[in-house]
Amino acid sequence: MASLARLSRKTLATAITSHRHLLRRALATEAVAKVTESPPPALPITESPDRVKWDYRGQRMIIPLGQWLPKIAVDAYVAPNVVLAGQVNVLDGSSVWNGAVLRGDLNKITVGFCSNVQEKCVVHAAWSSPTGLPAETMIERFVTVGAYCLLRSCTIEPECIIGQHSILMEGSLVETHSILEAGSVLAPGRRIPSGELWAGNPARFVRKLTHEETLEIPKLAVAVNDLSKEYFNEYLPYSTVYLEVEKMMKSHGISI
Amino acid sequence: MGTLGRAIYVVGSWIRVAGQAVDRVGCSLQGSHLFEERVSRHRTLMNLFDKDPVVDKDAFVAPGASVIGDVQVGRGSSIWYGCVLRGDVNSIRVGSGTNIQDNALVHVAKTNISGNVLPTTIGNNVTVGHGAVLHGCTVEDEAFVGMGATLLDGSHVEKNAMVAAGALVRQNTRIPFGEVWGGNPAKFMRKLTEEEIAFISQSATNYTNLAMVHAAENNKGFQEIELEKSLRKKFARKDEEYDSMIGVVRETPAELTLPDNILPDKAQKIAS
Repeated sequence: MASLARLSRKTLATAITSHRHLLRRALATEAVAKVTESPPPALPITESPDRVKWDYRGQRMIIPLGQWLPKIAVDAYVAPNVVLAGQVNVLDGSSVWNGAVLRGDLNKITVGFCSNVQEKCVVHAAWSSPTGLPAETMIERFVTVGAYCLLRSCTIEPECIIGQHSILMEGSLVETHSILEAGSVLAPGRRIPSGELWAGNPARFVRKLTHEETLEIPKLAVAVNDLSKEYFNEYLPYSTVYLEVEKMMKSHGISI
Repeated sequence: MGTLGRAIYVVGSWIRVAGQAVDRVGCSLQGSHLFEERVSRHRTLMNLFDKDPVVDKDAFVAPGASVIGDVQVGRGSSIWYGCVLRGDVNSIRVGSGTNIQDNALVHVAKTNISGNVLPTTIGNNVTVGHGAVLHGCTVEDEAFVGMGATLLDGSHVEKNAMVAAGALVRQNTRIPFGEVWGGNPAKFMRKLTEEEIAFISQSATNYTNLAMVHAAENNKGFQEIELEKSLRKKFARKDEEYDSMIGVVRETPAELTLPDNILPDKAQKIAS
């Protein structure tokens, strides 16, 4: 089959070469048109010699911007490869899991009591929101935000569950005791009333939650919190990497 | 350093040695459960044999991002925290003024099923939202890829087009000029208005300014960080709003003020 394809391609090529002058004449007008609308030349890339390819410090966890310093409560667990930038508040008992990025450079971000933001989440705040709500990202108490969630300037009221891979856009509001299923997308300015289950892209109403289910929501948050305690105990307050850096600097002959 | 200083220094180093000995004892007690921390081995820009990433000097690449292989990043672009640009089997070109936001992934395909080669090309002033996945696709100038969108092999986003949040653009789809596509699989939703098109390029410039602030912060050395930490502590009680209320005008040190060009309409917003 492949050889046949190759053969047919070859015959096609010879056919084209034999009629090339004809073809060229036919395409000439098109070629002229192409030349006139050629894209502007791309800006040349100038590399700087002092760009760091390997930072021995890795990514800093806490990135202050100007006067804004991210604040982490003493008993909150924040995984070491999380990035907290700008106006971020991680309140007591909450946990932020590996690979999450909380970037409060335009507005405030709050992770409330006993709530958790799981792996690879991105929480960002826009400058303004389309609804009347303040454009800060507010995650209140006992909220479980699943892995790979993307939150942008949304307000999540107490005791909610946001499923994995769901996206909450600007100015959306999730009221108390509601659940968003995995993979749902909440368009800008949408509101989920309390005690409801929503799902889909864009998110739609599925059903009301039963009383038992609403009781389960804070239990889940507390369970994740208990797990985070275990992680919290694993990390000592100060790392001992500085010893290794000192050793490395000594071996390279840099005075400390 | 005087004699007393030298004596204190020597005593200090003794105590440090003792402390390290205590640390070693603790480590040996932990035994097989011990995990010793190492210096970060994460490479922000990584070459694969002869494929070097080429990054402009005015571009911001977060230290936590990984740019691997044959990648070119133009002037004023920004690669945010946790991004992965993996140009291992083919090339990635990122134009100028483009921002690729946190946790996004850009990858290429060597060949797809129909056999054509698929590098990833991202034009100028493109906004690629958080957590987007771009695989072997072409995104033209001033396009917008929303949060969590996925662009599969051979998809083509034309100029000023927009991929809505959470959309999945299937193979070999072409999104025409000035349209919004969304859903799974992505379908045409509506046309973009003039204002929205203007907003896209506006957001790109906003992001370029924002990236400069982050770049400045991330490039700081240890000394500078410590200095600013102490400054911040010193000025923490002297809140600007509170002071202005009681009629005191204090100047925050230049290190702790952010440039106003992060958001050009910020002053206007406050006034209104």
